[in-house]
Amino acid sequence: MTTQLDAPDRFLVGSHAGEPSDAARPARVVPWRRLGYGLLGVVLAAALWELVAAILDDPVTLPSVQATVHTFREYLSTSYPAGGRTLFGHAMVSAARILAGWTAGVVAGIVIGGVMASLRPVRFLLDPLIEITRPLPPLAFIPLFIVWFGIGELPKFLLILVGVVPIMIIATVSALDTVPTELIQAGRSLGASPVWALVTVRLRAALPPIITGMRIAMGGAWTSIVAVELIAATSGLGYLINNAGVNLQTPLVISGILAISVLGIVFDGLLRLLHRLADPASR
Amino acid sequence: MTTQPAVQISGVHKRFSGRTRRSPARVALDGFDLTVRPGEFLCLLGPSGCGKSTLLNMLAGFSLPDEGSVLVDGEPVTGPGPDRGVLFQTPMLFPWLTTRDNVLYGPRARHRLDAQARERADALLASVGLADSADAFPHQLSGGMRHRAAFARVLVNRPRLLLMDEPFGALDAISRVAMQRFLLELWERDRITIVFVTHDVEEAALLGDRVCVMTGSPGRTRALIDIDLPRPRRLQDTETLEFVRLKRRIREALEAEAA
Ligand SMILES: Nc1ncnc2c1ncn2[C@@H]1O[C@H](COP(=O)(O)OP(=O)(O)OP(=O)(O)O)[C@@H](O)[C@H]1O
Ligand SMILES: [Mg+2]
Repeated sequence: MTTQLDAPDRFLVGSHAGEPSDAARPARVVPWRRLGYGLLGVVLAAALWELVAAILDDPVTLPSVQATVHTFREYLSTSYPAGGRTLFGHAMVSAARILAGWTAGVVAGIVIGGVMASLRPVRFLLDPLIEITRPLPPLAFIPLFIVWFGIGELPKFLLILVGVVPIMIIATVSALDTVPTELIQAGRSLGASPVWALVTVRLRAALPPIITGMRIAMGGAWTSIVAVELIAATSGLGYLINNAGVNLQTPLVISGILAISVLGIVFDGLLRLLHRLADPASR
Repeated sequence: MTTQPAVQISGVHKRFSGRTRRSPARVALDGFDLTVRPGEFLCLLGPSGCGKSTLLNMLAGFSLPDEGSVLVDGEPVTGPGPDRGVLFQTPMLFPWLTTRDNVLYGPRARHRLDAQARERADALLASVGLADSADAFPHQLSGGMRHRAAFARVLVNRPRLLLMDEPFGALDAISRVAMQRFLLELWERDRITIVFVTHDVEEAALLGDRVCVMTGSPGRTRALIDIDLPRPRRLQDTETLEFVRLKRRIREALEAEAA
């Protein structure tokens, strides 16, 4: 958990170098070979899984790949538990929670971070608060939030905020801080008004590292939502995984995990695309 | 109509407050005077920390003098503006814009983006040898190309005054010579007033009409040396006896300061 919260700074320092990174070049030259190796890795892992499953020969401990795939496809349209949502439905519930919490958290974090980067008193006021809350894993708040807000949607939303907002504040402040003054001055001396330079230079230059912060925050949001669904929910992938586990339906547990993975890849892929659009040097 | 100086700096003081309350304020400029004629190429030379950048920042309007006045074409400088083009030590192109869009940043920011501005941008890109790189992003350009793109970005605004702070300091020797030649040609053609900060005695003597040698901090004018070498100048001129003599005069002025 801590490593995840520490990640922003490390990530940002690396990604904000912003220079024409030579490291990014080879990736573009051999995308197919890279893709091939990546697929090979996945296939090898699946083969290993299949082998271990065959040796154990115990579907409760480890179902075979086929059995899992079969369960996955079956429950895409079958309710679980009976009368409840399908795997697809649970995935959509989790995705909706993520999107609501993450979007609100990203907006709040960027606004707060933007104000902190511009107004010193606000920065001095909030810096210690963020330093205090940063090392806390959001999961520690689950019992508290359940006591305060019950098990409805509100505590889930707030828990995602707890995970997302500090990450976004730190990413935004550091992104805005690292925009060189001369870049803004260049804009001003080319005829930009202060507001125009703020929007088209300062905020624009900070965009790529802010998007990197959004990617990291997305990871944090998933951790929060799955954890809270495990404990206090009647829908969502976390709930499905927990319920299936209690009933020893291992293939369904793994199906739920795979669904999280798929959604995670989709969201992260979209954000990476956004990052590429924002930063030509990373294309 | 009498010719008005392009730049008139008189009695300029500039202090920077210290880090702590007890550490004394740093006096960067202490009563600095300088007049630049229209169309003149003036080089500012001086030891590190003597206030050259501070002075240029005030001309650009990035900061204001504590005392004294800074006039450009007779009007006090109150803030940055497109009439004064600034070229920094690094090109400071916007990495998210193509070369052409970098050049068009000024017209766009001033809400003057029309077909004429686009034509002018393309003509300028061609004149700095970047016609083929108009759609490339800054990270795809070489160091020298980025500097030329920065020139085009400034020139599209038709500035009356060019302010350059060690613009070629970060370039390798070969690119620097190429940029000096490019700048000389540009100046011969357009005769924009230029204030050019440099550390390099040879560069100052090759480019300037006059060289203003500054004292160490706080900065004042130590000597104003006329470079009466014929124009247009070429790199070969640096080998003439006259040139060497001028270089020695400049160097002596600099060293007299150190003593
Ligand atoms: N923002 C600032 N805060 C505090 N002191 C400053 C600031 N900017 C400049 N100074 C001080 O003012 C003096 C002049 O600085 P300036 O940058 O103008 O020197 P310079 O002649 O451009 O030097 P160099 O040739 O090394 O670029 C220096 O003593 C410097 O320490
Ligand atoms: Mg300087």
